[in-house]
Amino acid sequence: MSQSHKDILKLEGVSKFYRTRGNRYRRGGGTVVALSRVNLSLRPGEIFGLVGESGSGKTTAGRLVVRLEEPDEGRITLDGVDITHLKGGGLRDYRRKVQMVFQDPYQSLNPQMTIADAVAEPLITNKVGDPADRLERVLGVLDTAGLSPAEDFIYRFPHQLSGGQRQRVAIARAIVLEPSLLVADEPTSMLDASYSAQIFEILQGVRDQMGATIIFITHSMAAARYLCDRIAVIYHGHLVEQGPAEAVINSPSHPYTKALIDATPKFGRCEGVPTYGTYLPAPRPAGEQAGCPFFQRCALAERLLCSATYPEWRQVAGEQVCLCHFAAEGGQSPPPPEECRLGG
Amino acid sequence: MALLKVENLSIGYRTAGGMLKAVDGVNLSLEEGRSLGLVGESGCGKTTIGMALMGLLPPNGSITGGRIVLDGVEISALDEEELRKVRWSQVAMIFQAAMNALNPVIRVSAQMTEAIRTHRPDMDEQAIMQRVEGLFNLVGLPLERLHDFPHQYSGGMKQRAIIAMALALNPKLIIADEPTTALDVIVQDQILKETKVLQEQFDIGIIFISHDISIVAEVCHDIGVMYAGQLVEAGPAQEVFFNSKHPYTRALVGSFPTLAGPKSKLTPIPGEPPNLIGAIPGCRFCDRCPKDTASCKLEPPKWQEINERHWVLCDHC
Ligand SMILES: Nc1ncnc2c1ncn2[C@@H]1O[C@H](COP(=O)(O)OP(=O)(O)O)[C@@H](O)[C@H]1O
Ligand SMILES: Nc1ncnc2c1ncn2[C@@H]1O[C@H](COP(=O)(O)OP(=O)(O)O)[C@@H](O)[C@H]1O
Ligand SMILES: [Mg+2]
Ligand SMILES: [Mg+2]
Repeated sequence: MSQSHKDILKLEGVSKFYRTRGNRYRRGGGTVVALSRVNLSLRPGEIFGLVGESGSGKTTAGRLVVRLEEPDEGRITLDGVDITHLKGGGLRDYRRKVQMVFQDPYQSLNPQMTIADAVAEPLITNKVGDPADRLERVLGVLDTAGLSPAEDFIYRFPHQLSGGQRQRVAIARAIVLEPSLLVADEPTSMLDASYSAQIFEILQGVRDQMGATIIFITHSMAAARYLCDRIAVIYHGHLVEQGPAEAVINSPSHPYTKALIDATPKFGRCEGVPTYGTYLPAPRPAGEQAGCPFFQRCALAERLLCSATYPEWRQVAGEQVCLCHFAAEGGQSPPPPEECRLGG
Repeated sequence: MALLKVENLSIGYRTAGGMLKAVDGVNLSLEEGRSLGLVGESGCGKTTIGMALMGLLPPNGSITGGRIVLDGVEISALDEEELRKVRWSQVAMIFQAAMNALNPVIRVSAQMTEAIRTHRPDMDEQAIMQRVEGLFNLVGLPLERLHDFPHQYSGGMKQRAIIAMALALNPKLIIADEPTTALDVIVQDQILKETKVLQEQFDIGIIFISHDISIVAEVCHDIGVMYAGQLVEAGPAQEVFFNSKHPYTRALVGSFPTLAGPKSKLTPIPGEPPNLIGAIPGCRFCDRCPKDTASCKLEPPKWQEINERHWVLCDHC
């Protein structure tokens, strides 16, 4: 790709496996494939959405990007530098540039620390500035995070704040070192709508004013549409569609993307959004290991092909790409006739 | 006659800091087979109302005023003994799946048969088991999973089991408290649609509690918007959603993103709701309200009629 030299972050064939112990219900234990051969490139200053349901591997992807964990396969580069297996000082430097905001604001802050101390901690750990500088920076980021007047908040403890306020403190803490990349892991899923609109505004501000690149993890297609320049849809650890947010949402190509759009509440506000009906209400028996990851749920699947063969990425339109045997330029081509589908 | 009438209901919690007025002067009415959505941000008193309807307020909570009348019976005046007869058989509650409404160490089948057995001494074991199997079919759970333990279920299956439990004794009223909040979008959508079908099929009255007005608007006939313990706007779902009057309702409707149409700026609601301990003389929303006037701070707002069925608690709408 011609733009690859401009990419800030690149994931190439990244996989992550978790070993699980067996129990009575899951035979013999085994391996959970949390992320499978993921390829992603982020452009500087974009808000990139990673959309999928719970358990699809979104948090795992975030934790790999901020290097809280190491991938089992593949390579991650930041500004062209391989960070896949960084350790020690190199990793510390990397963590200054790449920060994460977690889903649960009730668990991400230390209850014993004042807001000022919590936000200043990364500065102290990294020996940035003297106490006066630090206080100034803390006040600055609290303000950016919509906690103003910041002076009213610095001596409070997390339990004295609402969930929305705590999440803004978590964002302030994540941006105090002016990271070039911020991973926001479902930052609004535990908050009321009135607060989530504020969080969206703050993230836009972090991008616009600080120039940070943002990975916005969400289960909401509508939130992704609102906030993101480009999105990737993830299903069971596999990316299945990627492209400009507007294109993927207005003319989805992958049957799973379509299912997510079908399931979004639309009450009266979404005239003209078609219904796709591509999601099997009850899963069909699994295909082969090497088959399409969506086979069990896909109403359009063709038994012989989809159960056995992993699809290739196909270009749908412009930068929109889709991991489906039936994806075709200009949208989804019709599945094969019924009699062909029943073979095998 | 209305199935449910809530008249001027007030509920307080005794706390270390004083009396917390969680619900203040709420009026609701629900006809048989209709659904009412209660929406508002967390802490506005939705669950408290639900618990009061079930007669399940915690020990430090009590009804401080008003009454609840279900099918002609004033349940706010019943003692615990009498309540036990009403609870689950007349009015049932669906809790959030995440709240572990199911006992983790008892098989789902045993929990369901037990619930029926306690209330229906007239039914023999075979009839009870048949009923449980019927409920499983009704909510779309596979019969071969009947004897599983709850933790073997996915989130969506647990929620279906909880819905089956609520339906077990044919209640006239079901209170669903954030029933799909912990679920994924696809499962949420399926369960909402199925619940709606069941409700219509059995003519059950539903009070659907949610912080998400887009969901409530999609499933309910009527909407009541709550703010800081009070109802502030009520009416048919269409009306409240598309012709919102209260500044808080408008902000709620404008605060979540949509899938289509122009990407208009969302309207965050600045500030925080008021502390519910102690007296609040004027309008509870005035600190966060664009219309805030001097009189709003001093005088409690009065109900204004927009039309026969659409009402708003605001002097400036
Ligand atoms: N530490 C872990 N040990 C075992 N399995 C894990 C661990 N973390 C995540 N998983 C599994 O990996 C998959 C992806 O999880 P996650 O990345 O948290 O998904 P999401 O954030 O999309 O909900 C899930 O099946 C989850 O159960
Ligand atoms: N057991 C309790 N003791 C004291 N205060 C409570 C108790 N339960 C709820 N509250 C308070 O009552 C108010 C309403 O709570 P709740 O009914 O749970 O609201 P919602 O369901 O709308 O989020 C909140 O301010 C909450 O903190
Ligand atoms: Mg996650
Ligand atoms: Mg509640």
